[in-house]
Amino acid sequence: MDEIKHTSREYERELQEVKESLIYLGGMTEKSIALGLKALLERDSNLARQVIQNDDQIDQLDVENEEKCIRLLALRQPAARDLRFITTAIKINGHLERIGDMAVNIAEKVIVLNDEPQLKPYIDLPRMAEITKTMIRESLDALVNEDEPLANKVRSNDEIIDHLNEQIFRELLTFMIEDPRTIHRALLIMQISKSLERIADHAKGIADMVVYMITGKSVRHVGPSDEPEEQG
Amino acid sequence: MKIGLFYKLLIAFLAIGILAVLISGLIIQGQMKHELTGWVEKDLADRVQIISTMPEEEINKNAATLAEKVHARLTLIDASGWVTFDSDFQAKKMDNHLNRPEIQEARLKGKGTAIRYSRTLKTDMLYLALPVYDKGTVKRYIRLAHPLSEVTDTINQLQSTVFEVILLVMMLSMFAAIIFSIRILSPLWDMEEFTEKIKKGDVSGTLMVKSQDEIGRLARNINDMVSELQNRIKAADEESQTLQSAFASMIEGVIVLDSDGHVEVLNKGMHEMLGSRYGDIVGKTVMEAFRNVELHDALDRYHRTGHTVIQEFILGIENPIVLEVTISPIKTVSSGVEKTIMVFHDVTHLKRLEQIRADFIANVTHEIKTPLTAIIGFAQTLLQGDLGNRTEAIKFLQTIHTNAQRLNRLVDDLLILSNIELGETKLQLETIDLNNAIENALVVVQNRMDDKKIMITKELPLNLPNLMADKDKLQQILVNVLDNAVKFTSEGGLIFIKASQEETEFIVVSITDTGIGIPKNEIPRLGERFYRVDKTRSRDVGGTGLGLSIVKHLIIAHRGKMNIQSSPGRGTTVSLYFPLSRSDNSRTQ
Repeated sequence: MDEIKHTSREYERELQEVKESLIYLGGMTEKSIALGLKALLERDSNLARQVIQNDDQIDQLDVENEEKCIRLLALRQPAARDLRFITTAIKINGHLERIGDMAVNIAEKVIVLNDEPQLKPYIDLPRMAEITKTMIRESLDALVNEDEPLANKVRSNDEIIDHLNEQIFRELLTFMIEDPRTIHRALLIMQISKSLERIADHAKGIADMVVYMITGKSVRHVGPSDEPEEQG
Repeated sequence: MKIGLFYKLLIAFLAIGILAVLISGLIIQGQMKHELTGWVEKDLADRVQIISTMPEEEINKNAATLAEKVHARLTLIDASGWVTFDSDFQAKKMDNHLNRPEIQEARLKGKGTAIRYSRTLKTDMLYLALPVYDKGTVKRYIRLAHPLSEVTDTINQLQSTVFEVILLVMMLSMFAAIIFSIRILSPLWDMEEFTEKIKKGDVSGTLMVKSQDEIGRLARNINDMVSELQNRIKAADEESQTLQSAFASMIEGVIVLDSDGHVEVLNKGMHEMLGSRYGDIVGKTVMEAFRNVELHDALDRYHRTGHTVIQEFILGIENPIVLEVTISPIKTVSSGVEKTIMVFHDVTHLKRLEQIRADFIANVTHEIKTPLTAIIGFAQTLLQGDLGNRTEAIKFLQTIHTNAQRLNRLVDDLLILSNIELGETKLQLETIDLNNAIENALVVVQNRMDDKKIMITKELPLNLPNLMADKDKLQQILVNVLDNAVKFTSEGGLIFIKASQEETEFIVVSITDTGIGIPKNEIPRLGERFYRVDKTRSRDVGGTGLGLSIVKHLIIAHRGKMNIQSSPGRGTTVSLYFPLSRSDNSRTQ
């Protein structure tokens, strides 16, 4: 009896550890995104370089977390809710790592942009950045608190981001048509905007997995917008 | 419960009463039966004796009459056991009686008795037989039989009496049980009710004590216990309240983690530090609650080393605050469980001051170094023999002079600032016409405005009340602000000066330019020494980086305030608020 109790407590601890490291990774990517966006809006290349540096650690954590999950699957053979949690954790882990990469993408573009004068005062981009950050924060909050309504809220926000992305695209297009010298910068900003849109997609992906984890129902490909599609 | 004890008493009383009555009844019944049977037997024996003394023929002849006279059944039996006469039956039909117990006994002992149930009379019969001897041998037996129905009747009567007594006893028992219950049990019931109430946590009230016996003493003891309990609870409450209020009113944030690392409790200070962003963190782990990498690492280090860990970290992404956390164990001696206490200090403000000081030193060094490098460089060139070329030498000397002056201005500004900060600047307050002062200040910057072709418009009402201010300092304030406006406005720009009275408290001078403007998040830092929004640009236009800082401090010395509004690319408005009425002139003395 004691033996069984001990083992199950050990198992509980391991599950909790997976959760903790997932949140840890979440914290890191959240910070990366925030720093990257701050670097963009405040034209601070040092912050951008910091984001690029952080990515190594994010990648390393991604690998470690996945190993933890797979070991748990192999050794403990979890069932029902625990199994759902671990498979969810693996997927969320992937999303977080991709978000980290996107932050690096943004940071790289920011460094190039900062070497040139500002194209125009940003209007939609800060809004987009704000909503994206909120989506990541809320998707992670939903994960921590197992909060299904919050996860659903994140999922519905994705559409706003898509819309803003299109708006930014159109605006930059007019800039480029008017003055070809702006093309380089406009393209960089477009890529940043696209990265933000992708980050929002990943946030939605996390929220989808949270809903699955809580309810056991798969909500991917259902609802207001599509699942994030990988791009080269 | 109450019913239980009452019934127990009742059953006890009943048992005792009924048993007593039953046992005594049985004893009496046994004795009575014995006595009564003895009497009947003695009576019969007497009668048989009398009959046996009569001559044989007489008996034979008058047997029937005799039987009638003695009120008994008379049987005459010969020596061999055959019945010769029976007063109730026909003798010839009766069988041999020799082996009947009373006959056997009579033959052996001279007298025999027996009690037998008679089927014919359906009652117990007492038989008594005597032998009649003739020359030493038994000649015949005379037997008398009498029914014992009288005895049985008496016994039956006794039994019914006993039964009645038992009923009485039952009623008495009931009565006694009720009396006892009221007398003894009701105070017990009261006590029970009272202690039940205490058990549920209500320790108020006392028991009413009526008697002086054991129950009374018990009640008094309970009362004493309760009042002792009340005192202890009160003391414990007071102590925990003191601790609670101390815990709550701490400015530092405190979080206690249970042995599993989940948040057990946090104080008001912590709530205030966190705001609403983190929601309810009780029951979560630190990672779940804050999702902060540095804090998690610090906690991890604490768990690994077991020593107190002090760590500074930035919490939050939107409105970051710098916190210093001290993580240490709480060892509770009684339970042996080790909990963790985390004490958070908000060091955001300290960090900012630290940053300002570090910036200041770096800036001062830089500001002094730049003109000094120029002075040293040109002086060196001159010394190495360029003195011969007079025109060149003069150009160099002029550069040295300009830089020396710049250095001088810097030192002057620094002196002014440090004097203000040390409180050594005394304001020489006098009545000043604001319009006049503004005109005077404009004269100072006029040349530069003309150079940059900046237009100036003024809206200065003539009926403005006079101001109590230090003339020189006011001049400095206005010149510094105007100077900034000119510096950061591009050629052909516009400066708008407006003075007005705001409510009754202030005269507001606002200077608006159409310059490059200031990003919103930079505005709070503008009063800092050497703080520059765009570091290269400001130095190009020849500022020391101290202008606004001096303005800010001088305004504060005048008990006024400065407000800056700006939007990048559009321009900046600096509003200077001078207090209107100064009843006390403490600063002049």
